[in-house]
Amino acid sequence: MDFFGSILYGFQVTFQPINFLFCGVGVLVGTLVGVLPGIGPAGAMALLLPATFKFSPTSTIILLAGIYYGVQYGGSTTSILVNIPGEASSVMTCVDGHQMARQGRAGPALGIAAWGSFIAGTISNIGLMLVAIPLAHAALRLGPPEYFALMCTGLIIVTYLAQGSVLKAIMMGLVGIILGSVGLDLISGFPRFTFGINELSDGIGIVPLVMGLFGVSEILENLEGNLQREIFKTRIRNLWPSFKDWMDSKWAIVRGSLIGFVLGILPGGGAVISTFVAYAVEKKISKNPEKFGKGAIEGVAAPESANNASAGASLIPLLSLGIPPNPIMAIFFSALIIHGIQPGPLLIKQHPDLFWGLVASLYLGNGLLLILNLPLIGIWVKVLEIPYKILFPLILLFCLIGVYSMNNLSFDLYVMLFFGVVGWMMRKFGYEGAPLILAYVLGPMLENALRQSLLISQGSCLIFFTRPISAVALGFAFLLLLTTLLPHFKKRRQQYDQFKE
Amino acid sequence: MKTLDRTSSLFWLLVSLLVFAESLRIGIGTVENPGMGFMTFGASGILGILSLALFLQASLRKEDGRQKPLFAGTLWRRVVFVLLALTVYARAMPVLGYLMSTFLLMSFLFWVLEKGRIGFVLLYALLATLFTHLVFSKWLNCQFPQGLFGF
Repeated sequence: MDFFGSILYGFQVTFQPINFLFCGVGVLVGTLVGVLPGIGPAGAMALLLPATFKFSPTSTIILLAGIYYGVQYGGSTTSILVNIPGEASSVMTCVDGHQMARQGRAGPALGIAAWGSFIAGTISNIGLMLVAIPLAHAALRLGPPEYFALMCTGLIIVTYLAQGSVLKAIMMGLVGIILGSVGLDLISGFPRFTFGINELSDGIGIVPLVMGLFGVSEILENLEGNLQREIFKTRIRNLWPSFKDWMDSKWAIVRGSLIGFVLGILPGGGAVISTFVAYAVEKKISKNPEKFGKGAIEGVAAPESANNASAGASLIPLLSLGIPPNPIMAIFFSALIIHGIQPGPLLIKQHPDLFWGLVASLYLGNGLLLILNLPLIGIWVKVLEIPYKILFPLILLFCLIGVYSMNNLSFDLYVMLFFGVVGWMMRKFGYEGAPLILAYVLGPMLENALRQSLLISQGSCLIFFTRPISAVALGFAFLLLLTTLLPHFKKRRQQYDQFKE
Repeated sequence: MKTLDRTSSLFWLLVSLLVFAESLRIGIGTVENPGMGFMTFGASGILGILSLALFLQASLRKEDGRQKPLFAGTLWRRVVFVLLALTVYARAMPVLGYLMSTFLLMSFLFWVLEKGRIGFVLLYALLATLFTHLVFSKWLNCQFPQGLFGF
């Protein structure tokens, strides 16, 4: 099938009633989750995952992709109107978006956020089609050492880009690897780290882990404090940006889309980082950088474009290499595995309906979000007005249902609560959950690749350095680590010199 | 942050030691033929070293002012009550069934923040229970326990 034939085939798959419905439900649920604090995209996907068991993998992935896209849209609404980012990827939108709302320009801010997201999503979809297939072909030539090196690099990038201490991020990565090894050993088939608990034979479930670390821990953190939040009351009008707004934002949208796409492909990148970079670039090259932070429309357009572009781009390493580049993609990865599909270089060839259906659904989802969300903005504002004292029991209940319905086991609820407490403590002690989740998913694959590589080389670690791709990837990871540690050593050296003087 | 970092580093050091010992017990194999404890042996070893590094880093750090206690000024008791309620729910659901246990849990959770308005609490709890039962059990066919009362 040629390229355009494949795209048409994808639209045929997406326009099947069940897939169309799932796409619509996904983007609506995603927007709702983006608006509400607490569940997050990973939690929402985990919540709906059990309900998809009786549907096809294509429908499931279309639903999850819709949620992921919708969250990026929904997050901007809370950022602009409440100055609270619904999601981490909307943090930068708060800076100028909320200022615009305070100046009576909430409409254009929401409008440019939606249009920027739509344009960026479309650019990213085109990139996904163009890059994923050649990359999957190239990936067929990769062996265990290359996979090991690429996964190591991904983990190092995640820890490098951590918002807090890099040392703590690396520690969380290692904890994730240890948690990922609980259950039956892939090679010998014997249980390990199960401590006699039968329910742990299949390992720690990703759904209770994610729900606990992200969903429950956030609720516990909110419960500790004052649950009041102030919603900025304003009339939302002129959702269609003016000609001047378009002129001011057009290059911000293009640059944001490209930055989001490139950072989205990189293992460890993703929506959050790309928004920070896109905002910083816009401010740097602007003729009027002093406008930023005071309601510059470019400050809304760039990060909103970047987060949507990276959402599509992050599907590339998952679908073509089988390596999830961030925790959200880790949920996608698990969903595919649950449905009996192995993500990797052969996925596009063996499951063209899934790949092309997903690509077409991304176009459809983008369009649906634009058509549905701008008219529905009033409803999302009403949702924001629901008091947290009513929301929090409901969010907790959704987490409980999502976790229980995976395996119909009460044990999973205990696991979720355990990791909820762990996540709450991690927030207090300044540890991030993202490296842990990514390492937890990559851990078994990493171990498999390492053991296979050592078996192939008969115990020689040189195998990682004699093969070009793995040598370059590990060299890059090493350089990243070095750039993290060098300033620290330099500082220590200066302190020592001062002390000597 | 100094005290917090030192405390957490010691916790992770303990975890690394436990995993390290367990890895040795289940067998790390050889480099030519790695065993099932090989990866965790390495990961826990590095985790232990980094925990020590964090402890030293925190100990050598100069910080002005006294560290605020971890739970100072927070409503931590509310968190403990909610956690206890959730643990009891996980235990009670197979026995009491989804509808009964969820109604009780929701009543408690709404009550935690709406103490004076029992009527509203019970109404919200009932609506939340019936709504989720309808959506997840009836429409999405999720299997919830029926419990002693058969519903």
